[in-house]
Amino acid sequence: MSRFLPLALLAGLVVLPLALGPNPYLLNALIVTGILTIGAMSLNLLLGYTGQLSLGHIAFFGIGAYVSALTSLGFDVEIGFGLRVVHAPWPAAVGFLLATVAAGSCGYLIGRLSFRVRGAYFVIVTISFAEVVRLVALNWVELTQGPLALTNIPAITLGLPGLGMWTLKTKLQNYYLVLAVGTLCYGVIARLVGSQFGRAMRGLKENEPLALSVGINATRTLTVAAVISAAMAGAAGSLYAHYLRIIDPDVFLFATTVSMVIMVVAGGKGTLLGPIVGGLIFGLLPVALRPVMAPEAQWIVYGLVLIVILFVMPRGIVPGLSGLLGRRSAPTVPVLEASPAVQR
Amino acid sequence: MDELIQHLANALILGGTYALLGIGLTLIFGIMNVVNFTHGALYTVGAYVMYLAVAGLGLNFFLALPVAILGGLLLGAAIELLLLRPFRGSDIDTTMLVMIAAGIILQSGTLWTFGGVAKAIPSPFPEAPLQIGPVSLSWLRLFVLGAALALIALSYALINRTKLGLAMRAAFQDADTAALMGVDVRRIYTATFALGSSLAAAAGALLGPVYVVFPQMGGLAELKAFAIVILGGLGNVTGAAIGGFILALAEEFGAGYVSSGYRDAMGFLIIITVLLCKPTGLFARAERIG
Amino acid sequence: MPGRFTLTTAILLALTATGAQADAIRIGVNEPLTGPFAASGTYVVNGAKIAADEINAKGGVLGKTIELVIEDNKSNPTEAAAVAEKLITSDKTPVMMGAWGSSLTLAVMPKLMDYETPMLVETSSSGKITTSGNPYVFRISPPSSLEAETFAPMVGRLGLKKVDFLVLNNDFGRGAATDFGKMLKDKGVTVGLVETMDQGAQDMSAQLSKLKASDSDTIMITSSVDQLVLLFKQMAALGLKKRVITTGGSQNPDQIIAQAGAAADGTMHLTTFLPWSPDRTPDPKATAAFIDAWKKRGFEFAGVTESFRGYDGIRAIAHAIETAGSTDPAAIAKAFWSVDFVGLNGPIRFAKAGPAGKESGQSKPDVYLIEIKDGKVIVPTL
Repeated sequence: MSRFLPLALLAGLVVLPLALGPNPYLLNALIVTGILTIGAMSLNLLLGYTGQLSLGHIAFFGIGAYVSALTSLGFDVEIGFGLRVVHAPWPAAVGFLLATVAAGSCGYLIGRLSFRVRGAYFVIVTISFAEVVRLVALNWVELTQGPLALTNIPAITLGLPGLGMWTLKTKLQNYYLVLAVGTLCYGVIARLVGSQFGRAMRGLKENEPLALSVGINATRTLTVAAVISAAMAGAAGSLYAHYLRIIDPDVFLFATTVSMVIMVVAGGKGTLLGPIVGGLIFGLLPVALRPVMAPEAQWIVYGLVLIVILFVMPRGIVPGLSGLLGRRSAPTVPVLEASPAVQR
Repeated sequence: MDELIQHLANALILGGTYALLGIGLTLIFGIMNVVNFTHGALYTVGAYVMYLAVAGLGLNFFLALPVAILGGLLLGAAIELLLLRPFRGSDIDTTMLVMIAAGIILQSGTLWTFGGVAKAIPSPFPEAPLQIGPVSLSWLRLFVLGAALALIALSYALINRTKLGLAMRAAFQDADTAALMGVDVRRIYTATFALGSSLAAAAGALLGPVYVVFPQMGGLAELKAFAIVILGGLGNVTGAAIGGFILALAEEFGAGYVSSGYRDAMGFLIIITVLLCKPTGLFARAERIG
Repeated sequence: MPGRFTLTTAILLALTATGAQADAIRIGVNEPLTGPFAASGTYVVNGAKIAADEINAKGGVLGKTIELVIEDNKSNPTEAAAVAEKLITSDKTPVMMGAWGSSLTLAVMPKLMDYETPMLVETSSSGKITTSGNPYVFRISPPSSLEAETFAPMVGRLGLKKVDFLVLNNDFGRGAATDFGKMLKDKGVTVGLVETMDQGAQDMSAQLSKLKASDSDTIMITSSVDQLVLLFKQMAALGLKKRVITTGGSQNPDQIIAQAGAAADGTMHLTTFLPWSPDRTPDPKATAAFIDAWKKRGFEFAGVTESFRGYDGIRAIAHAIETAGSTDPAAIAKAFWSVDFVGLNGPIRFAKAGPAGKESGQSKPDVYLIEIKDGKVIVPTL
């Protein structure tokens, strides 16, 4: 059952645009939701499987967006001491790869950090990291154009030798690109979680002293998880930049992290399908609410829904529903007990 | 030299309200182990209550201030009773998310009610500054500093000199033992959260007339409060007070001598540096508050 | 909660179609109705509504009524681009007006190229807008270079010797500092510090303390009205008493007087409209009628220095549609070149600007220097 469900979901998502017909509005909503859901899936790897609440996750997303955009636009900046760095535009697909690498490297730093500072300190340090990156994007005008936004970002071009080039300009093409990247990320996470490494992650989360005593290398495990998580968020950011074709420092807003956290927590942290279910619900909720209420009121509903879910189904929708249906659930992890990680 | 002294004076005045913001946040964390993500929204609410009282009801400026503080107190108590009490016993991540949700609701609620256009609160102080040698000090800002210091002193007295304060300190050290000794911990939690919230509202009500009032004003204030609290060590009240002044100094000198664009980055750079070098904050967590 | 909750939802929301009126000509309006520029954007939209109602009362355009499709760009460039795409693809507006700020307009411009749809720019002042080779842009506000050019003869008479700048850290502010700086240097005036501030910044004491310590005689400021109010209050608090001249035309002197009080006394402002003395405007009758309509709707008088742009913008668009004789975007773009009428701040007539072959249109409005004295706006005689 649980093996069949993801495939059914994928099949549903593949045929969805055909069922919807040419509806640019809904397609756009689905693409943005898809990109955010990839971000949520990557966040789940940290939050759900290792128990590290990183509220600076948007930093990786934004770094991915900027690296990808700048790689494909080119730049010419002075870095001090009279030295200039000049970069000629490269294809957007290269930008996508560099975005994952750059975000992954930043993930390495956060992963190392997560071992030094825990609990509330870790949460605040990740928020600060994202804010500093945002302020750099805002103020390093020569490189990032600051508040003027990077415009005219090219769409991603896929090329296969002998088959010619293919520029993903239409919404439909972007939808399938996002779906493909999302499926890839899902596959990677599923493999990872099912492996030896996944058991090490969960072991650390559930009982750290025990995990350490059986020889699990905590630093290495957390760092690897953070790198993979950040790289995926960077990939999502790159998709975002090349789809919208304009980004500004507001891409780093804390609110987007909050959206992703809501998706993960509501869907079910520590489950494979949780972030996807949460992502689809909270990504598409605005579409349903739009005709009936103002954006501010929608955010109020968002907040209320989050509180209700935390209260009624603290483990999230997916584990909650599986429990309700008495089905064997996807591997879920109990909610953290009064966190030993907090420094008291 | 004159410029340097002026920067110092600016920082001192700003530091008072920063300290106020930090103390409220650190108190709640220290006693309740809750990272209060509604702190910024409460700051905003304080400023709007002040605006409503002064510009809407025509209330005297000095009478409006306690009204705003009371507003923060009541709202804080309501949040604690409605949202935190049911989640008591949940892990810190869950309460953090509940607070994030409550913050969203409050901020969107202010935007919905008051609209996005910034409002100005008229103040009764003269525009012309107090001139001491080369340094100019605005009367309004001097009052704000004085009021902030008075409120800080009051909070200290409340924690150290009253029965409620004694119970709070007991709950801070060991909630379970305190409960065994007959302290109603649930009431202490409500009181603590209300007190912390009223300090945030007070900071908003004091800074509202200095700047302008708008629904997103709490966002940056909240992040700054985090910086201050981290600087001082989570849960350390004195540390937060000192942290407030350090942050103000760093911002003012950063903007004056490094680059004005990175003014707001100073706080975060401080957080990251402090946590990397001394993860428990500049001032190690006190064994007792006060 | 830190930050604004706009990013993702807004992009999702921005693309819904708004309910259509069957037989109307739709004009897209892309303005900041929330965020730091909310006040100004709202004024412009209200001015636009007056123009639309007036035109419809006279029988509309091409025998049809006009309908404004108004969308909020939240003072954010990414939102502005999303709004433009929504207006063009979803609402099928053949022509738009927007997007207030220079950064917002620049973000929209690639969309105009993509969809070959013209836009009338009513407020933005960055030079880049009309020099980057976008043939779908028609601007009625003065670029800062034009503002500087008009101000040039007054430099000597004001006796400027050394000028510092305090500007917004964006196209609007930086553009003004560059253009005015160049003009001043040509006039033999020394240019000192160029300080910047963030568009949402609240406390500028540090920058002002720096400016206070400098040996300049004048500070030129480019920002929007909310920040100017804060700046004047903080200058008074710091005892900073240099001559202040603001640029950019988004100052709303009456709002400054109301909110900054005595702190604004003696400040000078470059503005593009003289509602305080309708007799001195190019079309006194139209000015009086507009101010009358504005007051009748219960709006604050302070807003007219911004709202007239929305009013003139929609009138110019109506002229273009009338000339084009159709609602085809390409025909309207072409017809903009033959628009010629007297707006509230001078003739609206588009001259070619930018690289040959893909020129943008730039109208040349009047620019005036006004001064706030004893809580009143006066036009100083120089």
